[in-house]
Amino acid sequence: MITVRLKKGCKLNIAGKPALETEVLAKPSHVALVPERIPFIKPRLKVRVGDRVKIGSPVFEDKRNPEIKFLSPGGGEIDVINFGPRRVIREIVIRVDKKEESVRFKPLTDQELETTQRDDLVRAMTDGGIWPFIKSFPFRDITDPQGRAPGIFINLGDSEPFQPRPEVYLQGAAELFEFGVRILRKLVEKVYVARRPGDSSIINSLNHLITHTCHGDYPVDDPGVMLYHSKKSSEENGSWYIDGQDVLHLARFFKTGLYPIERIMVLAGSQAHESKHFQTRAGVPLTELAQWHKYKTSGVRFVAGGLFRGYTGAKNSYMGFYENSLTLITQGDNEEAFGFIRPGYGKPSSSKTFLSCFNTSELALNCGLHGELRACINCGYCAQVCPVDILPQFTYKSVIADEIEESLAHGLLDCAECGLCTYVCPSKIELCARFKQAKAAYYKELV
Amino acid sequence: MMKIIKSVCDAQRHHFSHGGKLERFKPLFDATESFFFIPGIATVSDAHVRDSLDLKRFMSFVILALMPSFFFGIYNAGYQALIVSGSDSVFFPAFIKGLQIVLPLVIVSYTVGFFWELLFAVIRKKEISEGFLVTGLLFPMTLPPTIPLWQAAVGISFGVVIGKEIFGGTGRNILNPALTGRIFLFFAYPVRMSGNSVWTVIDEKTPDAISGATPLAIAAITQPDQAIDTVLSQAGYSFTKLFMGVYPGSIGETSALACLIGALLLIITGIASYRIIAGGVLGVLSIGWLLNILAADSSMAWQSLNPCSHLVMGGFAFGIAFMATDPVTAPGTDASKWIYGFAIGALTVLIRVFNPAYPEGVMLAIIFMNLFAPLLDYFTIKQRLRKRIANV
Ligand code: SF4
Ligand code: SF4
Repeated sequence: MITVRLKKGCKLNIAGKPALETEVLAKPSHVALVPERIPFIKPRLKVRVGDRVKIGSPVFEDKRNPEIKFLSPGGGEIDVINFGPRRVIREIVIRVDKKEESVRFKPLTDQELETTQRDDLVRAMTDGGIWPFIKSFPFRDITDPQGRAPGIFINLGDSEPFQPRPEVYLQGAAELFEFGVRILRKLVEKVYVARRPGDSSIINSLNHLITHTCHGDYPVDDPGVMLYHSKKSSEENGSWYIDGQDVLHLARFFKTGLYPIERIMVLAGSQAHESKHFQTRAGVPLTELAQWHKYKTSGVRFVAGGLFRGYTGAKNSYMGFYENSLTLITQGDNEEAFGFIRPGYGKPSSSKTFLSCFNTSELALNCGLHGELRACINCGYCAQVCPVDILPQFTYKSVIADEIEESLAHGLLDCAECGLCTYVCPSKIELCARFKQAKAAYYKELV
Repeated sequence: MMKIIKSVCDAQRHHFSHGGKLERFKPLFDATESFFFIPGIATVSDAHVRDSLDLKRFMSFVILALMPSFFFGIYNAGYQALIVSGSDSVFFPAFIKGLQIVLPLVIVSYTVGFFWELLFAVIRKKEISEGFLVTGLLFPMTLPPTIPLWQAAVGISFGVVIGKEIFGGTGRNILNPALTGRIFLFFAYPVRMSGNSVWTVIDEKTPDAISGATPLAIAAITQPDQAIDTVLSQAGYSFTKLFMGVYPGSIGETSALACLIGALLLIITGIASYRIIAGGVLGVLSIGWLLNILAADSSMAWQSLNPCSHLVMGGFAFGIAFMATDPVTAPGTDASKWIYGFAIGALTVLIRVFNPAYPEGVMLAIIFMNLFAPLLDYFTIKQRLRKRIANV
């Protein structure tokens, strides 16, 4: 077993951690697919408003590669299709029937799995709409079904605030998870499973699958960080990765022959009524997960998918394909008098310039910048937290100067897009966003 | 109270916003407003949350760390002035006297410097950076208390304009602006910046009062056959005295103790790099020690000075704690910070020993290393990148 010890990263003690208990959420009246939130794809619709769909009917495919399909997470009727600026497809909303129908796919038994050809397996996965769960480095795009990889990383971690805890979604699903790992073994030779240290009996029972233990703070369990700290050669740069919960979806699909729609999600954050896990389904409306009718507050931001990498969801929007978490925090756009000399016992900071460094309780964060944009002063805080040893302040300079070669030499493609550099920067520079842009631009040039 | 300020700001904002008559002075308005309020801007792109630390607080901590030296400097300037005029030097009168000496300098430094900052901010249509708050205070603290105000004004102008703004403002400057101003004065008006008479303010009433020589000056005139440590302590400069700092010298630089307190604050809060400071101390001690060994048959008295004394003399403590650690002009990688610090320490000692004409070697050492910081970064980054597994 490989032990990854991350000295950098950032200890975050943010209020609103989800409790381990799980509540079953009532069936929503609508569910949706949110193509806008799937990076890189160019969706081509396969349905029109008013069409009848089953769970597992194709809704759209990726123009770049029509093999990559996204299936309906609900059975019923296409209610509306919302477009954004420049006709970007925002969401495809499905009104679900009381009694939903499902498309039947061919299940696989353990023995059948052993004898299936790799190509057939890949085809079954693309047709079954579960292929997109597998993503590839370095661009974090959906994997090319024709592609090969030296290895795949499975992340059983939840270091980003806030993600479903693996011990919750693995509850009673340990065998299923093993089956999922076997499926992945058919695709790539090496399947790495990373866990964080702890004494959860469920994860311990999977110890024979675990290849990496990662000690440290956010984002130690990110597959990109894992890859960076364990790779031996450049060939591994094209590794694949998948989230732990998504492995269960693959397994369920082949066990049942049904498109998997059940999800364990978390509702968390300082503004959430109750921070805990919910058993619900893919594409759930954000307000239903938040149980928004119970709130009277305003100035709350809905963040789907984690405080560092998630997106701000409109309140009437839906959970994305990859996201399993909803965090409610205050918008934080109120001014603060004499902020720079306040003792700040309650102000979270990774620096030691606030009395909060003596405060061990969880602190609420809001979405405020807490300052204004300034020129980089080369304080080096960003480099102190970067989990993949990039020197963001220097890389940033080469990125704005459009020095692609130099940026790549600096490790731009190793960037785990964790957002920590942006988080700590006292000059409030959007380092991570700029790196993501630069990566995407370079990717575009390549294909 | 805050509400009133808020409403004043809100009422005046339209003059400064786009199309207002005072649009050009928007940086001034923004700077004033954001002095009182952290603006309520919410994040738009990812990383939805941000650390509470901003540049203003960052710089405020440097100022906080300067406070022990600042107050001590005020007291000391007054105390020395009272001593030579023969009056009683009790605490309060000394402090008041010190205020009379130091405050005008600080005010001139801030006002003149701020004028340039504002001018460039308006021309560039950029915000005023908080870095200036530090420069404006650092600069007067490096000056002898007798400096005429107009020279202070010239110095800070040179520092801000040549040291910083022509490079593009805070963040782009290669040289530490306060230091640039100080060095400019040193070369432009040497009479005012060195010698024995400039370190103590002498009232006109007592023109024949004699101010004490600074330890650096004493060391510089020590004959080779005298043991420098003995000469220093005979002149009243024991290690303890040098450490405490109650002797004539630049306003903020005499007390190594005050600098130590400030440095500790900066290191503990993580505002300054301990690597630079530790590297500097190491540099002084090791080169000082090396010279001690070589000193036996040498003709230079400086050479046999106890290396620890180098640390507490001639503003080294001040320079390494507050000037060398200025992040903008220091290099960025951990390795180059060690080298940078070490080189400053080493150069300080070398300049003192081999060229006593520039006794305050630390200033020159820092500005010299400022120039080399990008080069240090270039090589250490190259070294670092070589270790990465390529990902292209
Ligand atoms: S460069 Fe920034 S976003 Fe990328 S891995 Fe480093 S800290 Fe994270
Ligand atoms: S944290 Fe921000 S200001 Fe500091 S070095 Fe990095 S980019 Fe520059």
